[in-house]
Amino acid sequence: MGFLSRFIALFGLVLLAHANTNPTTSALPQDIIIEALASLVLVSAGLVLGAEKLKPISWSEWAGQIEREGGARNPYRRLEDRFAFWDVRAKRKEFADWIRGEVPVPGTESETVSVSASKK
Amino acid sequence: MQTNTPDLEVANGSNLVAAFHLAQRAPLILRRQGNMIPHTSVNSGKNPEDYGVIEQLLFSCLQSGDDKSALLCTEELAARFGVTDEKVTGLRGLYEEATAENRPTLEKCLQKYDLMLSENPVNLPILKRRVALLRSLSRPADAISSLINLLDAVPTDAEAWCELADLYYSQGMSSQAAFCLEEALLIVPNAWNIHAFLGEILYSNALSSDGEDSFSLLEGSIHRFCRSIELCTDYLRGLYGLILATLLLKKNQHLDKHSEGPSAQTRSPLTSKILDELTIFARERLNEIVKSRTSNHLIWKGNQGELIAAKELLDRLDSSTL
Repeated sequence: MGFLSRFIALFGLVLLAHANTNPTTSALPQDIIIEALASLVLVSAGLVLGAEKLKPISWSEWAGQIEREGGARNPYRRLEDRFAFWDVRAKRKEFADWIRGEVPVPGTESETVSVSASKK
Repeated sequence: MQTNTPDLEVANGSNLVAAFHLAQRAPLILRRQGNMIPHTSVNSGKNPEDYGVIEQLLFSCLQSGDDKSALLCTEELAARFGVTDEKVTGLRGLYEEATAENRPTLEKCLQKYDLMLSENPVNLPILKRRVALLRSLSRPADAISSLINLLDAVPTDAEAWCELADLYYSQGMSSQAAFCLEEALLIVPNAWNIHAFLGEILYSNALSSDGEDSFSLLEGSIHRFCRSIELCTDYLRGLYGLILATLLLKKNQHLDKHSEGPSAQTRSPLTSKILDELTIFARERLNEIVKSRTSNHLIWKGNQGELIAAKELLDRLDSSTL
């Protein structure tokens, strides 16, 4: 799509430029008017086709996209993490246990993850 | 790419793997940040986002036990915002809590917080640290009462309401927890995760009660899960909860019909047909999500727990209907 849309837009611009290079003084000939109009349509089509993918304007779609990406951009995630109330000692202990290999965390070795490990 | 964009993992920092990876890169990030200081003046200095990264780095370093880098982070933040800044004092307190060796030292931290609060009673970060420390010291009742005091002063703090809900729930006080989440939802009515959490609390509350209560709690729970999915088409937790809640309500209605004849279920707007439709809808969506997450393994590497639970539920449903 990218190359095609650029090509169309460029071709339209060339047409537009060509329509303008004809030295005319009084009434414009029919073919030049047609050429100018056609170039206008082509340039517009090229720009529209080459535009970035539209962003969702519906809340649920937008939120769904965030979740599909892993929830990292979720603005309400802070309400789950609650870093201001972070129990740092418990978190450190959890981490230390994990690094010593006592608590297998799902996701580290996806093939060997057991179902029991996934239940918190 | 690896060193320039910590943001992706920063945002995912709540899980252990991401915290570990981020903390491993701490010296590198700090050095890069440090290099930028000399040729920029204090105010026009770095991007505001950089300080967010440093704060996140502080959490990851503290969690992974890299206290040296964590101290550097607090110093960097203090250099920019001043040692007396409320947020900086809170983070500094967090560092001291983390490095405290025993209970008496933690008690000393608590006294220090009290002293700071006597000087400035509205220092929110310290107030919150105090609640967290009380909770960590296994004094949930004190934590709850001081959090309630905080919320009396600042009733629009959704984070505090959610923490209070969590505290109540940890003490087995589900209805209070549900109330707190409802308050939080008044502040952030579109938070799909909070809707789902409220649904979960109502569901677990319904499990432990019976009769009329159980019906109304389950209905409330279904409503919350539905709202959560309405706000976010791909929310796994909401769909998961919706399946569990609809199945349980249907089972209870069925039992109720056998025992007492027409009672609660006749008044309920949730007929068994609607419940079936909801279950089927949620199952289909959950199936799609599980499929896409399994194929898109890389993003979900650090967060497999939900996926495994969802797969398990789907397998159970498949085997029960066969």
